Amino acid sequence: MAIDLEYSVIGKRVPRLDGLKKVTGRPIYTGDIELPGMLHAVLVRSPHPHARIVRVDKHRAERVPGVVAVVSGTDILNTPGVVDPWVGPVFKDQGILALDKARHIGDPVAAVVAESREAAEEARELVEVEYEPLPAVFDPVEACKPGAPLVHEVLRPSRAFADMAHVAEAGGTNICYHQKVRKGDVDAAFARADYIFEDIFTSPPAQHAPLEPHVTLAYIDEDDRITLWTATQSPSFVRVSTAGIFGVPLNRVRVIVPYLGAGYGSKLYAKLEPIAAYLAYITRRPVRIMLSRSEEFHIITKHQVVARYKLGVTKHGDIVAVEAENWWNTGAYAEIGPRVVHKSGYTSAGPYKFPNVKIDAYCVYTNNVPAGAFRGFGVPQVVWAYESMMDTAAHALGIDPLEFRLRHALDEGDEFATGTPMVSIGVKASLRKVAEAIGYTPPRPQRVPPGSGRVRGKAVACGVKAVLTPSISSAVVQMNADGSVTVLSSTVEMGQGSETALAQIAAEELGVPITKVRVHLPDTDVTPYDTITAGSRSTYHMGNAIRGAAKQIRDQLLAAAAEVLEANPADLVLRDERIYVRGAEERGLTIPQVFAAKLGALGTTLVGEHVFKTIADPLDHETGQSKKATEFWFSGATAAEVEVDTDTGQVQVLKFVAAADVGREVNPHHCEQQIAGAAILTLGLTFFEWMNVEQGQVTNASLLEYQLPSLKDVPPQLESVSVAVPHPDGPFGAKGVGESGTLSVQPTIANAIYNACGVRIRDLPITPEKVLRALHERARAHGAEVAPPAARQPAAVENAGATEVPE
Amino acid sequence: MTIHQLDLLQPTTLEEASALYLEHEGDASFIAGGTALLIYLRERFYQPGYLIDLKTIRGLDYLRHEPGVGLRIGALVTHWTMERSPLVRQHVPVLAETYREVGNVRVRHAATVGGNLAHGDYRLDPPAPLIALRARARLVRQGGARELPLEDFFLDIYTTALEPGEIVAEVIVPDPPPGTGAVYLKYQSLSAMDWPCLGVAAALTPGPDGSVDDLRVVLTSVASRPVLLRGVNELVRGQRLTDRLIGEVQALVDEQIDPTDDIRGSAWYKREMARLFVGRAIRAAQARAQAPRG
Repeated sequence: MAIDLEYSVIGKRVPRLDGLKKVTGRPIYTGDIELPGMLHAVLVRSPHPHARIVRVDKHRAERVPGVVAVVSGTDILNTPGVVDPWVGPVFKDQGILALDKARHIGDPVAAVVAESREAAEEARELVEVEYEPLPAVFDPVEACKPGAPLVHEVLRPSRAFADMAHVAEAGGTNICYHQKVRKGDVDAAFARADYIFEDIFTSPPAQHAPLEPHVTLAYIDEDDRITLWTATQSPSFVRVSTAGIFGVPLNRVRVIVPYLGAGYGSKLYAKLEPIAAYLAYITRRPVRIMLSRSEEFHIITKHQVVARYKLGVTKHGDIVAVEAENWWNTGAYAEIGPRVVHKSGYTSAGPYKFPNVKIDAYCVYTNNVPAGAFRGFGVPQVVWAYESMMDTAAHALGIDPLEFRLRHALDEGDEFATGTPMVSIGVKASLRKVAEAIGYTPPRPQRVPPGSGRVRGKAVACGVKAVLTPSISSAVVQMNADGSVTVLSSTVEMGQGSETALAQIAAEELGVPITKVRVHLPDTDVTPYDTITAGSRSTYHMGNAIRGAAKQIRDQLLAAAAEVLEANPADLVLRDERIYVRGAEERGLTIPQVFAAKLGALGTTLVGEHVFKTIADPLDHETGQSKKATEFWFSGATAAEVEVDTDTGQVQVLKFVAAADVGREVNPHHCEQQIAGAAILTLGLTFFEWMNVEQGQVTNASLLEYQLPSLKDVPPQLESVSVAVPHPDGPFGAKGVGESGTLSVQPTIANAIYNACGVRIRDLPITPEKVLRALHERARAHGAEVAPPAARQPAAVENAGATEVPE
Repeated sequence: MTIHQLDLLQPTTLEEASALYLEHEGDASFIAGGTALLIYLRERFYQPGYLIDLKTIRGLDYLRHEPGVGLRIGALVTHWTMERSPLVRQHVPVLAETYREVGNVRVRHAATVGGNLAHGDYRLDPPAPLIALRARARLVRQGGARELPLEDFFLDIYTTALEPGEIVAEVIVPDPPPGTGAVYLKYQSLSAMDWPCLGVAAALTPGPDGSVDDLRVVLTSVASRPVLLRGVNELVRGQRLTDRLIGEVQALVDEQIDPTDDIRGSAWYKREMARLFVGRAIRAAQARAQAPRG
């Protein structure tokens, strides 16, 4: 499509529409809303990782003044009107409360609802639950072994989303999903490889830590309709899920989402909404439930991953085969884990032309806190592994790692590991941009002994993610006779800037200033269906829906104006609130004049509606091959210069550059902020942010102990770069940008550390102690000798034909 | 999280505060800035029936310098005041630097000098330079008062020498001998706003000809209380500091600390870092020290 350089608002640095009001504290968030007679609910949580619930004794708790009800799973099962107490986006495996067993520490087993939060908390201490502890399993590799304790005996697919339509009923295993990719013949390729590199890389669980905790207010109105004000990223799913619990028509559930105080993937699908709706249903009073910060650590996490990678390379530096076997710890409930494993699974080989690929990704139940979406949706965990491997192999072969990547990176039209031809892929351009910005030169890693002061290194890495496909965004756009515009969209404004970007798209299409556009916040009574606000999909999908809806209004305006102006609609321009004849600007009408001509009354409206739906060619179940795996790819590349203190092992990032291929910048300022914000978040996850879990117990479940990056942790130089490779079907060429900056941060740092001091860290986070230990171990193994780096010992030589790279 | 029902008592004198505590002994807690206590109350780790608010006592937020005595700091002086006060910067700059390292700006506006000490957390920063500089606390209780060197104040985790009803009323920091160089090095192995992995303070007073007249080294976070390194002056007094001599001081560390494994590092790592930062702190203190003139 031709790029019109004369856009009035697309590509402009429009200030955030929600900026001033948020920093002045004016918006009402979910937790601010109070209704007359509102009750407060708190949850009683299991102290056991796996236990059968024998009995819940509520009597003492019920006697606390102000307590209205105490409920257990048994009460839910016995409530008339609850037709299905099981929820979950992929498998219906989670009860509104634990219905039979508690499956992780912190699993809600009972709820207390009272006139005040104080009374509810006091009563919570008095609920006595008798448990029969069961054997538990915590490690995802152990959980796959025969004889491991079963977290779920039976699995029922929930069929909520088209992309997960292929999951099967299962039982007798903790593996709830297995993503396979088979391309070419890896065994034959490994047999003819000159070198084989094999390693294991791990990523720990983490917490999203949104500023606003999970909070829901449920209300049964005078028509017995269920209304939920809730902090969610998926209002449409919440409506379906809630209607399913009570077996009521969709129009009897209303989900309203005020501004969200951040999500990062933590507020998707069914969280507090089922229990809040249930408690409102039985008490007939408004019920608010809001998690404390420590409870946030027990609701949803980022997946822990154990990733085994194997690369086969020729002596000329051609990668002939890649094999990955990855175990994803999805915790006690599948939540959206299968989709995480599906989508990260099929991209586990990276943005490279590999002729032979074998991937096995397992989504594994354990008795840990459930894991789900987390900014990047699993991709950072696999990029961590494959981009560390790429550097390892390049160094061992004496090839510059940047050159090695560029040589293998995918170009337009090249086949992905799934056999899918690439469209709009900016990985090479991103790599070149970040390398230039960091002042990249081919690294010469030195073996530095511990205690030799500060040493520096630079490195790059890249990654690719595929947008969720198929998915659906619907929008309704209404233009008023004065030219002002209302956009009805279920995209949640959670700090990502969707309100501004979507308003820019509507304003551009309708030729009005952005100040005349109002984007309605989600309210399922008013705003139409949207799959989710997640996965960097809203600009593209909702942008296209809004643009399509706006175009219908535009067409009506142009047709009406054409009649008055006696011109061909194709010769008319709609811009700056006027319609005029191209080349004869004085021959025109204002938008109100067109409305007057067409409808002739004050305050009339024109409405457009558009459903934007993407389709995929479903991946073959056995081979993962697909002609169209995704609607679009988005890649990112990052570069860093680090300084390692070899006395302490501490790493300082001196400069960090992140680039994302954004298709086209709808708002360059937003793109820069998204890319930088994603990089800062992931730098925290690289160095110090992780959930410390011992036997299913989170030992740092508070912000006193759990580490989040602050401004003091931001590198002194941090640069965002947008790479524009317009997507032919994106709104004005735009793609998504919310996650691109997360993808390759972690291996970039590990690679830069290697280039600085010659040690390779494989287990996140990269703490100073790990670096110092690695320096000590290396010094012990090799003495003080300084030599070029070689393949790691042992560089798994699995077939007789391959030889280890000599020291 | 909400706080349980409790009574807030608001005395106007230290005597009265102490009497109220003794009246409700076992079910009362003093509160000053509340930055630590409120977290415990909200998490319901601790549920006293009475809180005795020291902030209602007037005249405990003074900060002055008296020649021959030193810096006198009222217990209710905030960390923020310590960080910003020209008086502190002039007489004991290391204290301004150290208080600036505590928590974040919101905490520093609320947290008090006295409350910080009485809390007795082994990871706190200020005790290290205060002990290195021979600071004393004036402790007041119903019917009496006493002074205690801060090196004798901390007994164990969250345990201090405060008797029931006793309140930290003042901290006195004697003027360091001329030429003394003092530093506090806070080492954070995780995020920049985190508790320290460990901290080391060193105060070095030079003698003539660049020798050491006095050296005090204090470590935090590596035992159940701040550790004043013993045996240092026996090694260094009258000597010029050399790498070898600093190495001998570092060798004292291992036996005198008792670090535990936590997310900020294993005991092994903390021992490595304790030795390293003792060396760094001594060198930094030496760099600041000025040999007496003439």
